[in-house]
Amino acid sequence: MRDYLKLHDDNSGADPAVTDALRRAYAAPPDDGYWASLEARILSRIAEGAYRIDWWDELDRWMRPALVAAAVVLLAAGIALFRQYQVEQQTAYEAMLTPAPSALPVETAVRPVLQESRETTFRYLMTP
Amino acid sequence: MSVESAPTLPFSAPMIDDGSRFSERDFVVAAQRGDERAFAELVRRHQRRAYAVARAIVLTHEDAEDAVQEGFLHAFRALDRFRSDQPFGAWLNRIIANAALDLVRRRKVRDADELPDSLALPFRDPGESDELRRRLREALTELPDRQRAVIVMHDVEGFTHGEIGAMLGIPEGTARSDLHHARAALRRMLKDVRSN
Repeated sequence: MRDYLKLHDDNSGADPAVTDALRRAYAAPPDDGYWASLEARILSRIAEGAYRIDWWDELDRWMRPALVAAAVVLLAAGIALFRQYQVEQQTAYEAMLTPAPSALPVETAVRPVLQESRETTFRYLMTP
Repeated sequence: MSVESAPTLPFSAPMIDDGSRFSERDFVVAAQRGDERAFAELVRRHQRRAYAVARAIVLTHEDAEDAVQEGFLHAFRALDRFRSDQPFGAWLNRIIANAALDLVRRRKVRDADELPDSLALPFRDPGESDELRRRLREALTELPDRQRAVIVMHDVEGFTHGEIGAMLGIPEGTARSDLHHARAALRRMLKDVRSN
């Protein structure tokens, strides 16, 4: 790269006649009146534009704080989700380690009224 | 530093009464505090250079004027973000260059169907041959935008590669390379008219 830069120093390859023609072509207006007029137009433009709300500029102004706020919200949401995930994992793990409760004793009983009713029906049927 | 011809800016503030007693930094600080005459003085000091920067980037004198006005408006709005320990001119030139590049982009979108026949060069030197002037105009139109801007900024305005890179948002080496290619292209395109 350094060799390249050395080969192409500021004056290499410049054609003096073309450079002169360029300078004439791009010469700034020499008249002081022109510059006074341009200055007045610049200041006039600023006076007009200073109060005009440029929405893109406004958006641009709010862009950075908005991005920071969005990043903070995303970070907080991420942390909350991660904590929730951790709690769920811990609960599931503990549930797995806890032995399942043994079968509960089942008590069966025959309703006396029902039994009596069935016997009564049976007796009725069997009675000649 | 009278500004009789200039309209009053939309703020009132203490004024600086004599430009000769103050440095540019003083004007910048005063303008940041809302001194309208200080900003007018900055405009007066920098408008020629700003015009040169814009003129190197856009195709016409009228567009250069638009870019300069737009650039100064942006600078005025961004003045509170300017750090007074850096050179005001370099900061302003970057803003002007951005305004000019933005104008070129908008023109390209708008005039996509209408290719310019030639580059408008409004200030003619009567002593220059019509043929060279015409051919130079055509050749400049043929150059890529960035190469044209780089060669004008360097060979006409005397900016360094680093300054050009900062203004156009390209590395210094790219500015150097663009200059080399632009010179070679102009030399090639104007070879016959030069030999005449």
